[in-house]
Amino acid sequence: MKLFCGCFCVWALTIVGCTTDVEPIKDRYAFEVPANFPVPHYTFQNNPVTADGFELGRILFYDGMLSRDGNISCSSCHQQHVAFADPLHRLSIGVDERVGTRNAPAIQNIAFKKFFFWDGGVNHVDFVPIAAILNPLEMDESLASVVAKLKADEKYRTRFEAAFKTDEINSQRMLHALAQFMNMMVSANSRYDRYIRNEGEQLSASELRGLAAFRHKCASCHATDLFTDDDFRNNGLDASFEKDTGRERITEFAGDRGKFKVPSLRNVALTKPYMHDGRFKTLEEVLNHYQSGVKDSETLDPILYSNGVLGIAMTEQERTDILSFLHTLTDESFIRDKRFSQPPN
Amino acid sequence: MKNFKLLLITVAFLVAACSENEEPADTNGSLKIEFDNVVGSANLQLNSTNQPYTNSLGETFNVTWLTYYISNIKLKRADGSYYIDPVVNDGSKGYYLIDEADAASQVLTLQNIPPGEYTELTFTVGVDANQVTQGAQVGVLDPAKGLFWSWNSGYIFFAIEGIAAASTQPENVFQYHVGGYKLISGNANLVNNLRDVTLSFNGDNPIVNGSKTPEVHLLMDVLKAFNGPGSTVTFTANASRHSPVACVDIANNVQAAFVVDHIH
Ligand code: HEC
Ligand code: HEC
Repeated sequence: MKLFCGCFCVWALTIVGCTTDVEPIKDRYAFEVPANFPVPHYTFQNNPVTADGFELGRILFYDGMLSRDGNISCSSCHQQHVAFADPLHRLSIGVDERVGTRNAPAIQNIAFKKFFFWDGGVNHVDFVPIAAILNPLEMDESLASVVAKLKADEKYRTRFEAAFKTDEINSQRMLHALAQFMNMMVSANSRYDRYIRNEGEQLSASELRGLAAFRHKCASCHATDLFTDDDFRNNGLDASFEKDTGRERITEFAGDRGKFKVPSLRNVALTKPYMHDGRFKTLEEVLNHYQSGVKDSETLDPILYSNGVLGIAMTEQERTDILSFLHTLTDESFIRDKRFSQPPN
Repeated sequence: MKNFKLLLITVAFLVAACSENEEPADTNGSLKIEFDNVVGSANLQLNSTNQPYTNSLGETFNVTWLTYYISNIKLKRADGSYYIDPVVNDGSKGYYLIDEADAASQVLTLQNIPPGEYTELTFTVGVDANQVTQGAQVGVLDPAKGLFWSWNSGYIFFAIEGIAAASTQPENVFQYHVGGYKLISGNANLVNNLRDVTLSFNGDNPIVNGSKTPEVHLLMDVLKAFNGPGSTVTFTANASRHSPVACVDIANNVQAAFVVDHIH
């Protein structure tokens, strides 16, 4: 009996040793597709996630060196505690306090998206940082100069060598590292997710009524469990679009004027201010808009103008229920995930 | 004996001659293509202080920047089959950036081409969608080369800039950046400014083999880029063009701006 116990202990210890040492390390850098998500769109065959590549991307994301004056990093405008959106500024603020033209959106589940930015001008995760780095209102720097700065930095030379098994630093490897880091930002552990995947989570009566109302009134655009149809639509914010023509800027087609990317509503309770120009400070204001603020124009989405009535009719009860449902999309583990936080120096 | 020796030498010489001529003729060889940028009958000189060139509308100009991408190179054989210049997925092979400021960039050497006679050359001016959807690239497609549109993912296929008295832009500059390849289903409005150019060697066919590297000299005429099947470009109207739709006419002109000058 004593012998058996000893054996068992050794056996149990080995198992414990295995699970704590090996498994979590493997999982930490594995890109996994949540059961309720579509297939990812990213070209992982050209850039698989590795531990060293991811950690390099993380350091780059938090490094002001990517900007002209060294002061602005990706994280200046994309902060983890609000799902990598910018809680403070309606329009983003870049080098020399320059005011941008749009609100910084959340960064989440981007490996599943076809288009990036409010007008969809960027069509691959690898190209996202180029737009931020080159934009004079954001980082105001050139890619060639960023690459030169990285090459001159001993710490980065070692990191690139570890990540890509070559000491040659080029823009592709920098962009790949950032893409590895951002692709891993998968948010799929909200109360809604655990409910929909039958993982033992219950939603309240109000939240469930809100979900039903949302499916009825909002989900034709905020579709699938990504809460976007990945398309461009005009949701009636304005009647004319001199300030920002939206999708038309890319397609040069008048029929796309005033259409913007349908944003995901994951973590939406955290990602204020809302819309492409951050015009609404609260979700209540957003609901007011859909209820009574929708403006007609040539490209207004027909869903928002049915039977001669503008907007989406909602009772007081439906408003309350939709609001409480939207809060079930908050993913606490995502905003606390240590993998994505500022790396220790 | 003397005769026999002579015979031996003759035979040896013949064998040597044969092997010199025939053996390499069966092995793969190279072909050079030179892109020579001209303005009508004049050779192009960048950054001249005056405006030495005149377009078909009589407007004077100089050129400060001229660069373009060449890809998908194909050589047609006399039997109608093709040699296709290989493309590598990360952009490291099969894409060429011709830059007027860099003489070395103007001569491409295609290597490892099967021996034979070639009758026709085809290439694309630009970088196709397949390549852009692969993500970040290297080589001449490295976005740090400055020819990547950050706001509208894709490459500038053909860029020409300069100064023209007739331009109403600040400091009389003109800038034409031709790009745009996106074809999104359901949106017929996104223009595709990729253009294929096919040039016959007109019977002066290069013969490729292990011992001969023929050189094909092409001319790209800036005057034709400004006046061709697309339109007659005047510097007085919109001399700062940076979007796909704005440059369709120039893309059409550029397609007809290349000619085979000579082969040797
Ligand atoms: C000055 C503020 C600022 C900085 C710095 C910045 N961004 Fe952004 N980011 C924005 C804004 C604003 C947008 C929306 C732009 C648009 O739609 O035109 C955006 C959009 C994005 C998106 C698209 C999200 C989507 O779903 O469409 C990603 C991803 C992103 N940024 C990543 C980055 C990375 C990586 C960096 C660093 C290289 C960075 N950002 C630096 C403000 C910033
Ligand atoms: C016709 C399609 C459509 C319908 C229906 C629709 N939306 Fe939207 N929604 C959009 C578009 C497009 C935007 C972005 C508009 C912009 O910024 O210009 C948006 C933005 C939002 C935002 C802001 C998100 C952010 O991160 O800035 C919220 C919140 C929102 N919608 C909630 C809802 C709710 C709740 C409903 C149902 C009551 C609804 N939407 C119905 C298309 C739609």
